[in-house]
Amino acid sequence: MMLANYIGAIALIVIGFYAMIAKHDIIKIVVGMGLTDYGLNLMIVSIGFNEGGTAPIFTFGELVSGMYFVDPVPQALTLTSIVIGACVTAMALALCVRIYNEYGTVDSREIRRLHG
Amino acid sequence: MTYDVYMHFPVIAIMTLFVGAFLVTLVGKRQAARNAIAGAAVLVSLTLLALLIKPVMVDGEIIMYWMGNWEPVEGYAIGIAIEVDALSLFFGLLITIAVACSAFYSFQYIKQDDARGSFFTLYLMLSGGVLGIVLSGDLFNIYVMLEVMTFAAVGLTAFRTWNPNAREAAFKYLVVGSIGSTCALLGTALVYAQCHTLNLAQISAILPGELNPTTVLAFALLFTGFGCKSFMFPFHPIAADAHGAAPSSVSVLISGVFTKTGVYGIIRVCYFLFRSMGLSSVQIMLVVIGCISMFVCVTMALNQHDFKRLLAFHSISQIGYILTSLGLCTGLGIAGGLYHAINHTLFKGLLFLTAGSVLYATGTTYLENLGGLAKKMPKTTALFLIGAFSISGIPPFNGFYSKWIIYQATFEKAAETGSIGYALVTVVCVVTSVLTLASFIKVGHSVFFGQLRPELAEAKDPPLGMRIPMWILGGLCVFTGLFPNVMLDYIIIPATGAVFNAVPYIDTAMGEGYAAAHLASTSPFVTPNYTLLGGWDPLAWLVLFVVVLAAVFLCSLAGRSNRDVNCAPDSKHAVFFGGEEAQYSHISGGDLFWGFKHTMRRYLGFVSGAHTGVTNDYVLWGVTATAVIIAYCFAFML
Repeated sequence: MMLANYIGAIALIVIGFYAMIAKHDIIKIVVGMGLTDYGLNLMIVSIGFNEGGTAPIFTFGELVSGMYFVDPVPQALTLTSIVIGACVTAMALALCVRIYNEYGTVDSREIRRLHG
Repeated sequence: MTYDVYMHFPVIAIMTLFVGAFLVTLVGKRQAARNAIAGAAVLVSLTLLALLIKPVMVDGEIIMYWMGNWEPVEGYAIGIAIEVDALSLFFGLLITIAVACSAFYSFQYIKQDDARGSFFTLYLMLSGGVLGIVLSGDLFNIYVMLEVMTFAAVGLTAFRTWNPNAREAAFKYLVVGSIGSTCALLGTALVYAQCHTLNLAQISAILPGELNPTTVLAFALLFTGFGCKSFMFPFHPIAADAHGAAPSSVSVLISGVFTKTGVYGIIRVCYFLFRSMGLSSVQIMLVVIGCISMFVCVTMALNQHDFKRLLAFHSISQIGYILTSLGLCTGLGIAGGLYHAINHTLFKGLLFLTAGSVLYATGTTYLENLGGLAKKMPKTTALFLIGAFSISGIPPFNGFYSKWIIYQATFEKAAETGSIGYALVTVVCVVTSVLTLASFIKVGHSVFFGQLRPELAEAKDPPLGMRIPMWILGGLCVFTGLFPNVMLDYIIIPATGAVFNAVPYIDTAMGEGYAAAHLASTSPFVTPNYTLLGGWDPLAWLVLFVVVLAAVFLCSLAGRSNRDVNCAPDSKHAVFFGGEEAQYSHISGGDLFWGFKHTMRRYLGFVSGAHTGVTNDYVLWGVTATAVIIAYCFAFML
């Protein structure tokens, strides 16, 4: 069951990289960065999953031997990573707006004053 | 423990910078208060780390701090650790020195900018992030700090509203840098899947041993991630853009400090986490990447017409030296690499600050628009010469000593392995050094020497507040060049020892005997051997240098009488000039070395054309590099 998650995660990352390589619209490049990020989050959260595990919140009365829960650490990592991803997207879009104002285009092939 | 009080220093050093960033925002537009807070924050953090030199470097202690006192339970590290061994402290020190000098320089420098309020917020966030990376003992914490640092750096790159290229550079930096972040995080996740811990020390104990496909993939991804942050070869174009567009005091941080976190990460990944440096395939990978970086970037630098962009390419070229040297995995190699790391921070910081002074005085860094500034800015010129001599490796300045160690290390490695390849590495290193000197002759000629351009007559040296940080960096360049033994004994050798021997690092964090219980072999990779093949006496070279300088000065003085002879229109010259008046004519920097450039025109044209400036192309390079590194690791490490 986890295999589907891993394949999905890698597929999202690859699609994201593809968008960053092949799409010349800078907004689409930012979308690509976002996709890579979502793939990554899916990957991390899948790593911590245990089949049949419960939520990692217990009080001592409820503990029964043989119970186990999903790994909480990757979930914490994913939360952090989601926040960082949102910041990256926000910052990149802000830069896109400024670039559009200054260059009058969102085509990355024309935004190349710095080259050579 | 007699060192109880010291254990709080690293965390306070990091916190001060972040708290400073917060307070700077609170005081808003009040300039004096803002400068006082920023200055105090960087100085406190520098002092705290300097106080750690005695216990860590001299007495060989390792400072361990568990955030919230979450100590390991039953051999599993749960909490976030801050662990400072000699290697971390080495990088921490060079970071705080550069940060402090650059902050004091910025007080004056950013008066030209319109958005001064947020400058120090971002600046202190960047410094705190960088310091957090090198002092942290937790892999995910390193990733978070990496992102904090990248955000602050992108913000500062786009900071100059009047620089038309700044937004473009920042966007490319953010997009290409995100490949590195993605790789680093994916690598971290895979390491966690293998070890179920994020503590560096515990991973170093559990992870090495049999390599399986997951660990090889994790290694390749972490290596690429940190390599991207150090701007190694296929990631270098964004560095050039970002350094050129950012304010100079920030370029110091991006070039001197930011790249070092990548180098630090590569050391931690290769020598500690995976202990894979003993494999010759990993050594070859690092050396080849280093050589390509240093050669490609130095030839790109020869082509540049912008002072700061040129310096940026040199910066990556010097990072190539460091990576090559670290890839040798010998005592001399590591020592040379680390020595070059600190020298690079010092001289490149100095050079970026002089470039900033030129920009401050003249409003341009375009080489063809400058010339003859030595007459108007003599103090800046002297500082520039110190930096240029250092980076080109002219004795007795510091660049010479570290390059000298690197040459010997590569040669020693060639003798040891009997492979001709490592001897060629020495050749590449020497050729790169020559080309570095050539391009600094070009800069010196087209900015500081030659005829003064008429429109620059108003230029003058920057104010004292900007000169003092430059003199401190210049003084440190001379000091590290003249007293290499002091540096080696107190700073470099302890740090090199820490690189080779991961056992104390693991045992301090996880308890005595943890490393012996988990590691297959606790012995270092090789016994470090620091004997140099040939010795040299820096002081004798200083005397020679002064004598030559005095001779040049005397000759120049003797010829002074006929230098400024008035070339008034004279009927006897008219036949040569057609009667026209003498005009301003400066041989531009682009015209120097034209013979060499003409011979190399195919290659130079190719590399120059390859740096198209299109974001997609740079992403393609980055993704290709990631794929190649992963494929290489799978082919040769398993």
